[in-house]
Amino acid sequence: MSAVTQPLEARRSVSQTVGNFLRDNPIYVAIVGLVVVTSIVEPKFLTYSNFDNIIRSAGTLIFAALGMTFVIMAGFLDLSIGGIISLVAVVTVTLIDRVGQGPAILIGLTVGIVCGLINSGLILSSGALTQAESLFITFGMSLVYGAVALMYVQGVTQFLTYSESDISIFNAINSGTIGFLSVFTAMAVIAFVILFIIERRTYMGRAVVLTGGNKIAARLAGVPISKSIVMIYAISGLLSAIGAVVLVSRVTLADPTMGTPYMTQAILAVVVGGTALAGGRGSVLWTVVGTFLLVLLNNCLNLLGVSSYVQFMIWGIILITVIWLDTVKQARVRG
Amino acid sequence: MVEESATQALLSVRDVSKAFPGVKALDHVSLEVTGGVVHGIVGENGAGKSTLMKILSGVYEKDSGEIVYEGRTIDKITPLESMQMGLAIIYQELNLVNTMSVGENVFLGRFSESGGRRGVHAKARKLLDSIGSKVSTHRMVSELSVSDKQMVEIAKALSYDSKLIIMDEPSSSLTADEMDKLVRIIHDLKSKGIAIIYISHKLDEILGFCDVVTVMRDGRVIDTRPVSEMSRNQMISMMVGRTIENEFPPRPESVGETILEIKNMNTRKLKDVQLSLHKGEILGLVGLVGSGRTELVRALFGADKVAKKSIYLDGKPVEINNPIDAINLGFAMVPEDRKLQGLLLGFPVEQNISLAVLIRLTKYGFVDSSQESVISDREIKALNIKTPSGKTRIRTLSGGNQQKAIIGRWLEMKPRILVLDEPTKGIDVGAKYEIYLLMKKIVEDGGAIILISSELPEVLHMSNRVHTISDGRVNGEFDPAVASADEIMAMAFEFA
Repeated sequence: MSAVTQPLEARRSVSQTVGNFLRDNPIYVAIVGLVVVTSIVEPKFLTYSNFDNIIRSAGTLIFAALGMTFVIMAGFLDLSIGGIISLVAVVTVTLIDRVGQGPAILIGLTVGIVCGLINSGLILSSGALTQAESLFITFGMSLVYGAVALMYVQGVTQFLTYSESDISIFNAINSGTIGFLSVFTAMAVIAFVILFIIERRTYMGRAVVLTGGNKIAARLAGVPISKSIVMIYAISGLLSAIGAVVLVSRVTLADPTMGTPYMTQAILAVVVGGTALAGGRGSVLWTVVGTFLLVLLNNCLNLLGVSSYVQFMIWGIILITVIWLDTVKQARVRG
Repeated sequence: MVEESATQALLSVRDVSKAFPGVKALDHVSLEVTGGVVHGIVGENGAGKSTLMKILSGVYEKDSGEIVYEGRTIDKITPLESMQMGLAIIYQELNLVNTMSVGENVFLGRFSESGGRRGVHAKARKLLDSIGSKVSTHRMVSELSVSDKQMVEIAKALSYDSKLIIMDEPSSSLTADEMDKLVRIIHDLKSKGIAIIYISHKLDEILGFCDVVTVMRDGRVIDTRPVSEMSRNQMISMMVGRTIENEFPPRPESVGETILEIKNMNTRKLKDVQLSLHKGEILGLVGLVGSGRTELVRALFGADKVAKKSIYLDGKPVEINNPIDAINLGFAMVPEDRKLQGLLLGFPVEQNISLAVLIRLTKYGFVDSSQESVISDREIKALNIKTPSGKTRIRTLSGGNQQKAIIGRWLEMKPRILVLDEPTKGIDVGAKYEIYLLMKKIVEDGGAIILISSELPEVLHMSNRVHTISDGRVNGEFDPAVASADEIMAMAFEFA
């Protein structure tokens, strides 16, 4: 008797789990549905070159979104990454002829980290502990970094290909391969694995999530909140800078406003993945999923000929839906 | 669904059951409430009181059983319908709109039917006058004290011609004067034939002004009796399901050498505070809200800056700039506001316990998570924390079990000085006793405790010494074995 009922119950709980997942993640379902429809009506979708295109267009976004995940898990926001990406891009490209490509990239990454440290310094010194305060501070800094980038190159676009020096690293990032993996994919995998280990195994990773859970309680129990804040913004700055280098490699130019769209996209990728905007719950693993869902969505809509204005609106609707669903889910947990 | 029924009672609840996943919250509960009667309901946290109230108000749906109100059988109602039927609930966390005026709150959602701006304020004034409240109907609710907010809630209930008003822990944040006022209003409502269900942890209140009392435990009604036939000890033993000889264990008696000294501590709020604390001692601190007792704790935990040479540990001056410094010196704290300052509500019990000790389980930056589970399981067992597992979210536990988890968080650190700020606030009798035993064990193991509490009996029974604090000064020292409650309160109320 029991031998018969057990697998039945097991099956029911599996279907229940799947059911719960579908109910909690309708955005996943909607995007996967769209992908299926697109692959049927648009034969170009299921081609190798299109998939290559999809992976590449995830480029800068995946790095920016991975960095943003820690910020959001800690209960803060980083709107400055648009400015950081623009600034790092122009700094890196203009320095190639002066110091060589390797040092130029290193200086670019350092600029990203320094911008992150400035953000965290401002947040700590102003005693800002709410998400809204971090939003305004980093939005302000985004304008500052963007303006510095514009002043630095006098508003002129810098072309990578005009460089007289060796730009082999950039070429490798754009089109090189390591075995069967492209260089870019390998970079993204390494970044993900390191962040995933930090998130799951280290004290700093735990401190970030605990900070997002309840800043006051965590602080009173000895969790180093200030260090968490410094770390999340430094990581966000560094990953945005890596994203900037990838972007420069791909489009072979640096424009002082090129980072702007990544601010909203990165936040969108994180929350679509399932990380709670309120903090305390999430994972860089989910962000990888969220990023690819967004890129797939973008690709499908392009193939279906949906105008980019309509796409902006769709993104806005998705962002609102995700936040609304999360609120509903939280209310259900609380009973 | 409405059908006729022939009962005298205003409200009768018959055999009502309600289950949540994993918990039987109500198990065949029956209850009768008559008009003009103050009906007390007592029970530990998790006894089912709140679930029952939420079913009555339409927040939850019952699984089985019958509810008859004013002769009508109630099956499915929404919170709004229940209010319109004259069944009002005043929750502990008051349901008012802070950004609206008093008058608008009383007639919330019925603004135009109630005669617009002028009509609303006039009617609200009348209702408030009828319960003797002088609060202006034009004031913002956010500016009101808890007591005044309760008056607004009562006025709102009266505006619906409520026959039954349920008050859920109304006294938990009232001062003595405000409490007297509430009792007068309750008597007044009673004389108008209105029935009141009064839910409280404070047995003195039940014995003081309730007519009938129902004791609940584990989702069941244990007994309903007239208060005149119920003694305090009977109530307690019904609530906890066993006989408790005393509400307090005997006080610890092994006070040793001085470990902490505070000399001339000054902050914006504190003035020349002098204190000493000995090994194995529980030091009670009694003061009103705003007396400086919270600031003292903040200073010890590095939240407020104090002069360099004001805190001495083992005779040596120490500097505390943040909670981490304090913890490294052997301090630990259970903060006043459990939900805001103590818990990570959405996190598992396990992580709420391991929070403080986590850094010590870390090697080369990596956390030993298997050790983390071992430690939390050990504390869950040692403190008798009732939870399905260590992975359960702490939000779902009762207040007493949550508080035990917060104390358990510190036990692994073997704290030298434990500061307990209102450790038993909103906790039932059984869990209180367990916390008292825990305090005793901590000091017997060589720790020392600073106990801050508004419950004077608790301070008197548990402390070895009591200090009063008033207007930022420590103005009195008492031996609780001989001092009377009146003497201590007199000093706590004295303003320099």
